[in-house]
Amino acid sequence: MSESIDQLVDKLPTSGMTVRALGLLDFVAPGQWQNISGFDNTIRFVTGEQDAEMVARIRERSLVLYGDSSQGYQRAVSIFQMVDSAGGKIGLASMAHMLGEKVGMLSFLSKLTPKEDKAQTIDLGLKLVAEMVSFCYANGFPGDGIGDFMGAVSSYEKENLIRLSAIVTFDGLIPLGPDYGAKLLDSASGWSPSDLENNALFQRIKGLIPGGEATDAAFQFVNSGLGAMNQYVGSFAGARGITLDGVLGQMRGVIDFSEGKLDLLAAFLDVSTNYMEHTGIQSVSRSLIERAVGEI
Amino acid sequence: MKKILLVLILTGGLYWAYKSFSSHQAEPVPTKDTTMLPSAPAPEAPVAGKTFNKLFPGSADGFSVQFTQEKEGYAQADLLKGGKKLAQFSVSDTEANPTARDKFKDSTKKIGGHASAAVGSMGTAVLVAGRYQVQVRSTDPSFTAADREAWITKFKFGDLK
Repeated sequence: MSESIDQLVDKLPTSGMTVRALGLLDFVAPGQWQNISGFDNTIRFVTGEQDAEMVARIRERSLVLYGDSSQGYQRAVSIFQMVDSAGGKIGLASMAHMLGEKVGMLSFLSKLTPKEDKAQTIDLGLKLVAEMVSFCYANGFPGDGIGDFMGAVSSYEKENLIRLSAIVTFDGLIPLGPDYGAKLLDSASGWSPSDLENNALFQRIKGLIPGGEATDAAFQFVNSGLGAMNQYVGSFAGARGITLDGVLGQMRGVIDFSEGKLDLLAAFLDVSTNYMEHTGIQSVSRSLIERAVGEI
Repeated sequence: MKKILLVLILTGGLYWAYKSFSSHQAEPVPTKDTTMLPSAPAPEAPVAGKTFNKLFPGSADGFSVQFTQEKEGYAQADLLKGGKKLAQFSVSDTEANPTARDKFKDSTKKIGGHASAAVGSMGTAVLVAGRYQVQVRSTDPSFTAADREAWITKFKFGDLK
């Protein structure tokens, strides 16, 4: 374990491109996501407790639970971090001027490499699989069967909901268009184990996917998972009122981009944000704090 | 209707993940007979969280109880009405954190025959069989301390004795 959960939460930025990009998705679920800064503030926000001694006790128990690697919380955070740890991220120095200003994408063109559809669909698919696996590490398998499990899923809200919206919007709708779901399904049916083996994101997360040490087993896991999820994900944007025009309208207030260059916009969002890690740390913190206060 | 359908489909995906996950993971903790929960002396390994599921109140009268987390020695659920989260329920095995029992030592109040104690300003808990903490926490201001006590009595404590 490299950092404790309180350190990770304390380090989350309160501004910058990730926070601004997530803020653009507020219309999907108004008020659901708030970028709470600091672990103690998160404890107060999640539990409603304000007393300093009580907050300290919840903090202490949270740290014990997070520090026990067998509890799964560390693995959930690791997956979120690995998904976002692409080598091509724009450095903080070049991001500095983005705070509060409209971002000119042209100045970053040299750092942007649009992905081909196949690479983009693999990334989209792997992020969805990472989401499912992280959920299970962070929350276990709540309930006694499919009905109870459905309850856990239908209560997807706050950080979880905004992250799923971001996956669908930033990695599906913008780079692939409104039929991103069909493209994902078409593409996934033609993937081979070597396609995954050659994917940088897969290389980072495969050790944490069940069976991931063997590429064939991980391939089967990814394919089966996407088969089960694809229809939901493909319909997610429509069901939530997320349209390409609507999203681009929101984006125009923050980023200067060319209408015909949505692949570049997607590449820009990819290298300038780490929304999976950011909201993932917040989701795991919530699960951890809710349990900690239940156990003290 | 469409939303329900969507949830069902995602649930299928997650449930599949659950099944795949289970088959790839070794059992994380020693399991016990889940038909009768032990009240044996410490120290013991915490019981599996799944053991606690049957203790929670069921959904009824417009309220729904949704399980949200399940770990070794711990199970958690939300209480919702009309889609709004009102409270968080949890059952925990204090074998994993024995100091949790301390707050019940000087307790003079009982709920459902069990020693009770406040957990901060938003939670009410009872200690059952000297080992299991059942807690109800308000997550909405409309859910009062009296509501918490009333819902604690709805837990099925029988198996914990």
